[in-house]
Amino acid sequence: MTMVHLDHVTLRAGTTTLVHDVSLEVAAGTWCTIIGPNGAGKTSLVAALAGLRTLSRGTVSIDEQRLDRLRERERARLVAYVPQHPEIPVGMSVLDYVALSRVAFHGALRAPSRRDRDVVAGVIERLELGDFRHRDGASLSGGERQRMVLARALAQATKVVVLDEPITGLDVRHQMDILELLKKEVEECALTVIATLHDLTLAGLFTDRLVLLHRGEVLHDGAAHDVIRSEELATSYGTRLQVVNVDGNDVVVPVRGATRA
Amino acid sequence: MFVVAVVTAGALVLAVVLGLVIGPTPISTPRILGDAFSHLGLGHSTLTSIQSSVVWQLRAPRMVLGLLAGAMLAVAGGTYQGVFRNPLADPYLLGVAAGAGLGATLAIVDVANAATIPTWTPLLAFAGAMVAVSLTWVIGGRSMRSTTATLVLAGVAVSALFTSAQTFLQQQSSAQSIASVYIWLLGSLANASWHSVLVVLPYVVGCVVVCVLAGRALDVMSVGDDEARSLGLSVRSVRLLVVAASSLGTAAIVSAVGLIGFVGIIVPHIVRLLVGTSYRRILPLSVLFGAAFLVLCDTLARTVMAPSELPLGVVTAIIGAPVFVLILSVRRMSTP
Repeated sequence: MTMVHLDHVTLRAGTTTLVHDVSLEVAAGTWCTIIGPNGAGKTSLVAALAGLRTLSRGTVSIDEQRLDRLRERERARLVAYVPQHPEIPVGMSVLDYVALSRVAFHGALRAPSRRDRDVVAGVIERLELGDFRHRDGASLSGGERQRMVLARALAQATKVVVLDEPITGLDVRHQMDILELLKKEVEECALTVIATLHDLTLAGLFTDRLVLLHRGEVLHDGAAHDVIRSEELATSYGTRLQVVNVDGNDVVVPVRGATRA
Repeated sequence: MFVVAVVTAGALVLAVVLGLVIGPTPISTPRILGDAFSHLGLGHSTLTSIQSSVVWQLRAPRMVLGLLAGAMLAVAGGTYQGVFRNPLADPYLLGVAAGAGLGATLAIVDVANAATIPTWTPLLAFAGAMVAVSLTWVIGGRSMRSTTATLVLAGVAVSALFTSAQTFLQQQSSAQSIASVYIWLLGSLANASWHSVLVVLPYVVGCVVVCVLAGRALDVMSVGDDEARSLGLSVRSVRLLVVAASSLGTAAIVSAVGLIGFVGIIVPHIVRLLVGTSYRRILPLSVLFGAAFLVLCDTLARTVMAPSELPLGVVTAIIGAPVFVLILSVRRMSTP
């Protein structure tokens, strides 16, 4: 079943085309990763996927509902969004931060219901944030902070979560932690995840499907195994890449002194 | 939180009592209370009719107008700080002050060699304030991806424009009217009457309610526009609503009492230091704290150098700044 459907999406900012005629269907309960060099349009595309950009052409639908026809609250119950640099308000506790996720349910004028509080408590428990519950979110380490942001997205209880570079700036262990958490949600709760990642090895390791974006257009789309080995990948990044197999896992290694035009 | 609320409520009661009791005509508290009860049909008043009108026609409306002005300016400042995510925001940010200043100047210099301030001054001040804020909104809010920064910058530009027009008008007018404009701009509760209370009351009540109810939305907006929208908040509508409410209420107050500085910026910060960063707490407490703070400052302003009065804006700054620094340093010591 198709959960996310992009139909000929074009996104412009002034005269610059950020995303050009991208069509994509993502099945429910799968993880699709968007890769591509800096400036390929990944961030614009995921913002559009979350319904946060006005499209120049085309439509984005989630669960067969066009995002541009929904009100903010309805949309927030379909798709959650984690930007590349989430803003963490100083002085807000982890609990309060995660609880922001429920505003689409209880509304901006009402207090959270019992169910809202239960959902938030459940996610905090699941992501092992219980000990930090009353800490100032801005005082957490990078890894803990990213887990808190992820908790907010999951507590929104949507079918789709869109994440822009969710592991940038984290050490290897915390990168693995975050990706494992997401993988678990995909496998156990049938969550549909669309994320952008820079680390091609990790992208191949966790993801069902890779979409290679280059200058705003889809250059290649397929199983991670194929996309990583494709000629298009090396071309779009403008550098030579070698794929080695370690214990059945593909590892993408850049090769020095072989920059391409 | 509870302690702060109780202390603030206590300060409010104290401010109300002092506002009624203190003045050049000495009238004791029990006699004022007795008179208040006699109006309710309980017991007999011991006040002469002159004393009674001193209390109920001079001090009471002044105190009530002070409560309204303090509450409105403080909650508007807190709301602006939230909606613009800028700690330096105050209620005059989007041009209310410059607009009201120009309106008042137009009213005052229009009367050749005016020694008195004409009665239509508040009306023109109010109109000027609303024109300035609307202009700011039109300029700053219409760009395709309008951010709060463009709105603040538009406010700066509009303020500059209105202030220069006001300066030009003043420069063309007599020394006498320049003095009148200056006195009006400094802000004072001295001309308070039940009439002015009734005029501003509906604005203040309506706008304060809107701002306080917006607390939860402002908390959501503290994560930034895109994220707040992804959480299901209609950021543009919330911003329009709370900016409109804060500006309208501020314009009403400014037209009645002139430009009282410092309350709008300092009170929300004091409250924030005491109860944390959630606007669900900051805004309602700013209403109480602002009301108490301004009436206490006004009581000082009219008694310290009696019979002449200190400008209210001067007193709010002299009292507010040290209080702020004190709380800041106490908080620093208590948090490692």
